[in-house]
Amino acid sequence: MNAPNKFNWPGWLVFGAILVFWEITSRGLPKLQLYIPPISQIFWALGQLLLSGTIAKHLSVSLARFLEGYLLAAAIAVALGIVLGYFRSLHSWLEMLIEFLRPMPSVAIIPVAVLILGIGDSMIVAVTVYASMWPVLVNTIEGVRHIESTLIDTARTFGLSRRRILWQIILPGASSYIVTGLRIGLSIALILVTTAEMVVGSKGLGFFILDEERSMNSANMYAGIVLVAVLGYALNRGFLTLEGKAMKWHHSMIAREAA
Amino acid sequence: MTGRSSKLNGLLFVLGLAVVWELTAQAQLINPLVVPPLSKILRIFWELSWSGQIPWQIIVSMKRAAVGYFLAAAVFIPLGIFMGLSPRIHRMLEVVVEMLRPVPPPVVIPVAMLLFGLEDEMKIFVIFFSCAWPILLNTIDGVRNLDWVLLNTAKTFGLSRRRIIRQVILPACSPQIVTGLRVSLPIMLILVVISEMVGSTDGIGYFILDSQRRFRVPQMYAGMLALAILGYTLNQIFNLLQRALLPWHGGMMRRREEG
Repeated sequence: MNAPNKFNWPGWLVFGAILVFWEITSRGLPKLQLYIPPISQIFWALGQLLLSGTIAKHLSVSLARFLEGYLLAAAIAVALGIVLGYFRSLHSWLEMLIEFLRPMPSVAIIPVAVLILGIGDSMIVAVTVYASMWPVLVNTIEGVRHIESTLIDTARTFGLSRRRILWQIILPGASSYIVTGLRIGLSIALILVTTAEMVVGSKGLGFFILDEERSMNSANMYAGIVLVAVLGYALNRGFLTLEGKAMKWHHSMIAREAA
Repeated sequence: MTGRSSKLNGLLFVLGLAVVWELTAQAQLINPLVVPPLSKILRIFWELSWSGQIPWQIIVSMKRAAVGYFLAAAVFIPLGIFMGLSPRIHRMLEVVVEMLRPVPPPVVIPVAMLLFGLEDEMKIFVIFFSCAWPILLNTIDGVRNLDWVLLNTAKTFGLSRRRIIRQVILPACSPQIVTGLRVSLPIMLILVVISEMVGSTDGIGYFILDSQRRFRVPQMYAGMLALAILGYTLNQIFNLLQRALLPWHGGMMRRREEG
């Protein structure tokens, strides 16, 4: 943090030391190897899985479900959030329903979805949409409400059309809140995809990991986890990069205001 | 006031929705096997609550959740304080934390099953792991944003390390620590439910999934209702505790704003 350009030697040394310790203990204790195989074996397994293409199939399935669910949730929740944030009377009608549904852990919806949609892709996408919608929705409502009403009133006085008010005042004004909601929604979507795949899936990374555990292929299981972690990290990075690009004007605007 | 009328609107809407649900289900417009009448769900919920089945499942789940949650707090709040105070320790552990953090928590379940079987320890480990990051990162943030004048003053007056931590750092960082604990609360609930769905023979998550698999649909919805109530109650208890344990915080913030 203090010196982002400087390579974090102590950090990587500690990390490396842990890996070496892992490797040695696991090799020294054959009984442990069944549960915690040496790190070299895990990476060997990962390499093999990647080369043979087995895991690429699961990865692409999970990624497709994630993208479909997450993007759909984002589109629905931002649109609904803007409407509910803008029209307070409408929000008052729906508020209690939202407050009632929100505290329920979203994964509990999986059994209902199975009942209604079966165990296919659509069910996994549906639960992902449901779960990752909440943080986006709540943050969008909050964001729209925090826009200074003078801004909107001024725009109205100058006779701006509804559409222009939406695109040029409400969306930019609420964007920092929306982005926060979208970031939380991202990790929730990943949780829901992997969970649903574990509970009912027959493909996807969540299924792969659990399946390898059940057949006691622990090296493959850990390899799957490494891949999911990489996926989670990459998605987060991608989000931050997009955010940086999309919100550039925002930072420059704040700077301008300050100056 | 608008507040009261908006509450009334919300209540009316929820009640209206309930009536629509009941009528469509009674008229068999939707498959009653999938969506039974609300009255039936409520009756079953009532029966299961009185027979003690739902309360018992919830107690089983909450025992696991509480152990994992408090264990995470007991380990990661102190660790966060040390990492926040010492940039060196922070740099040493940073890489390890950044490597583990992007792992979606449900994926840890197979590892936990491999190591601990299907016992309570498995769920406790999963909850411990997934609550760790919000608690740790918020604590570090809190310590880093500490008013250094406070710390230096305490040092100048020759307070012992222990007293500095207990009487200066902990109170000053407690809002951030509480934020971490608050963020982990729903995560804890989600992970209990997931781990019980994937590998358990009791607990509320197991109860819901099992009811679905046996086509005891009203029982499934009753379990979800119990879970929603549980989530809501936990949040309320958290708020109460926060107000009871950190009453000075509200006052201090006010004073700071005035000053």
